[in-house]
Amino acid sequence: MKIIEIKNLRKVYNSDSVAVNAVNGVDLSFEEGEFSAIVGPSGSGKTTLLNIVGGLDDATEGSVSIDGVKINDLSARKLTDFRMEKIGFVFQAYNLIPVLTAKENVEFIMHLQGAGKKARDKRTSELLKAVGLEGMENRRPSKLSGGQQQRVAVARALASKPKFVLADEPTANLDSKSTEKLLDIMEQLNKEEKITFIVSTHDQRVVKKARRVITIEDGKVVSDERK
Amino acid sequence: MIWSIAWRNVWRSKSRSLIMIAAIAIGLIAGVFIMAFMQGLVDARVQSATKSELAHLQIHAPRFAENNDIKFYIPDSQELMDKIAGKDSVVAVSRRLLAEPFVTAAHGTAGGTLLGVEPGLEKKVTDISNQLIDGTYLEKTSRMAPVLVGAKLAEKLKLKTGSKLNVQLVNRSGDLSLKGYRVSGIYKTASTGYDESHLFVRYQDLKAQLGMEENAAHEIAILLQKGDQADLVKPSIQKMAGNNIVETWKEISPEMFLLTNMMGQVMYIFVFIIILALGFGIVNTMLMAVMERTKEIGMLMAVGMNRRKIFFMIIFEAVMLTVTAGLIGAVIGTLITKYFETTPINLSILAKGLEKYGFASQVYTSLSMGTLITIFILVVFTGIVSAIYPARRALKLNPAEATRTD
Repeated sequence: MKIIEIKNLRKVYNSDSVAVNAVNGVDLSFEEGEFSAIVGPSGSGKTTLLNIVGGLDDATEGSVSIDGVKINDLSARKLTDFRMEKIGFVFQAYNLIPVLTAKENVEFIMHLQGAGKKARDKRTSELLKAVGLEGMENRRPSKLSGGQQQRVAVARALASKPKFVLADEPTANLDSKSTEKLLDIMEQLNKEEKITFIVSTHDQRVVKKARRVITIEDGKVVSDERK
Repeated sequence: MIWSIAWRNVWRSKSRSLIMIAAIAIGLIAGVFIMAFMQGLVDARVQSATKSELAHLQIHAPRFAENNDIKFYIPDSQELMDKIAGKDSVVAVSRRLLAEPFVTAAHGTAGGTLLGVEPGLEKKVTDISNQLIDGTYLEKTSRMAPVLVGAKLAEKLKLKTGSKLNVQLVNRSGDLSLKGYRVSGIYKTASTGYDESHLFVRYQDLKAQLGMEENAAHEIAILLQKGDQADLVKPSIQKMAGNNIVETWKEISPEMFLLTNMMGQVMYIFVFIIILALGFGIVNTMLMAVMERTKEIGMLMAVGMNRRKIFFMIIFEAVMLTVTAGLIGAVIGTLITKYFETTPINLSILAKGLEKYGFASQVYTSLSMGTLITIFILVVFTGIVSAIYPARRALKLNPAEATRTD
């Protein structure tokens, strides 16, 4: 079942009166349960593509439909709510809220959604267990390693039961051990829970785990391989 | 959750928040203290004027106020006083005869106001009797009629208790009348101007010198339980007084009322300046807090926290910062002013200047709960207003760019 459909997507940045095509006519679709890696050199347009798909940036042309909803047409307010309900985000620099504990970081989105305490506690406990952070619920990010913080970020991304998770270079700041652990968890969540992951990366270890690899160069999709 | 995050964010940079809290608290303490000090100064001036001279209400014959002509008097003063004294809110009533004499003593002459009072009643209305620095309050100690003079006049005319002075005035018939008095005592109020110009003699003595009829009075002074009741009580007293004119102390001495009002405005200008300075401090602190957290705010926007919630999260931080500081400042400010409510602030170095204008050189602070609450609310309001600009800056962030900020 298609959950994302991208049609003729273009994003042009005007820098010093010079037009830069960051995304240049991309047509892609993603099925539910996929584990896709978007690869390409720096400046190829991976992050811009992910930002547009995630509703964080506007497209110059083309459309992105998520779960049948054309997000280009949504107002800023509706788009914010849409992101909260449908999309999970994992950032390169973890971006946890430093004043909250691991548990509070995970349940934060559920708070925004208005979930009750019981439901929040249950879901948070399940997710922290799934990412191997049982017993670390009450630690603040400063008391967790980079790998542990990124696993909290994954748990947070899944807290709202999104349709898919967008991860922008999630392993870029991690050592190899932490990377392996994180990828194992993502792979397990993908296989067992059917969580859809779309990951932009330079990291070959991510590419190896992914079941679909999309290569972008100069804003265009140059290859799209399924393993 | 937003409150919780906001509260924890306040303590994220402990030293910065503590400095800001200290600045707000010190500002508030200063504001509270200045208000209490100035209020104390004004209260003392008003109290001194009402207690020593004006009382809370006064009654005069209809045309007396025009030029203090002694021909215009209240003829049945005793009857009127008895009626007024029966009112619940009235503490005491006293009648006075007034004259504008020419005073001659061995070492000089002076003008002023001569008040003929009944010592027993006057003691209950005004407190001149408690402010004697020498002698007695109009007790007759010799064959001559007693006169009470102020310290400044005594100094000017080199008078002592027991000194003689002559009082020359125009009596009711329009003739000059000269009478000798002996100084029974010397008083000193907070106002040197008053002390220099007011002499007290017994009602009966002045009545005789002026040739007034029995029961005549130029002025009836009324002391109420509370000074601020004057406006409320006035209409009922006016009914009893008939054609005579009843005035509150504010009407009799509009300059005193103006002073009270003006001081109030000056106090708020002081507080406004303090609060304005605090406002800039809060803007700076909150702006730093927002700019330091660009990435985090971008992430919050990305994961679905709407702009309204982000706006309020930052406003709440400022509210918590100012409420914390406000409470500390209010408590310390209150404790300091409470201390100086019973222990006077000694301004004796400025005594001459202050006393010339009727201000006491020892000031007791006076802080009303209303003033304290007003300042506290102003500080919190300033915190909210000051946080609006930083909060709006946060809303302008682009989540895609903000999440990738270093």
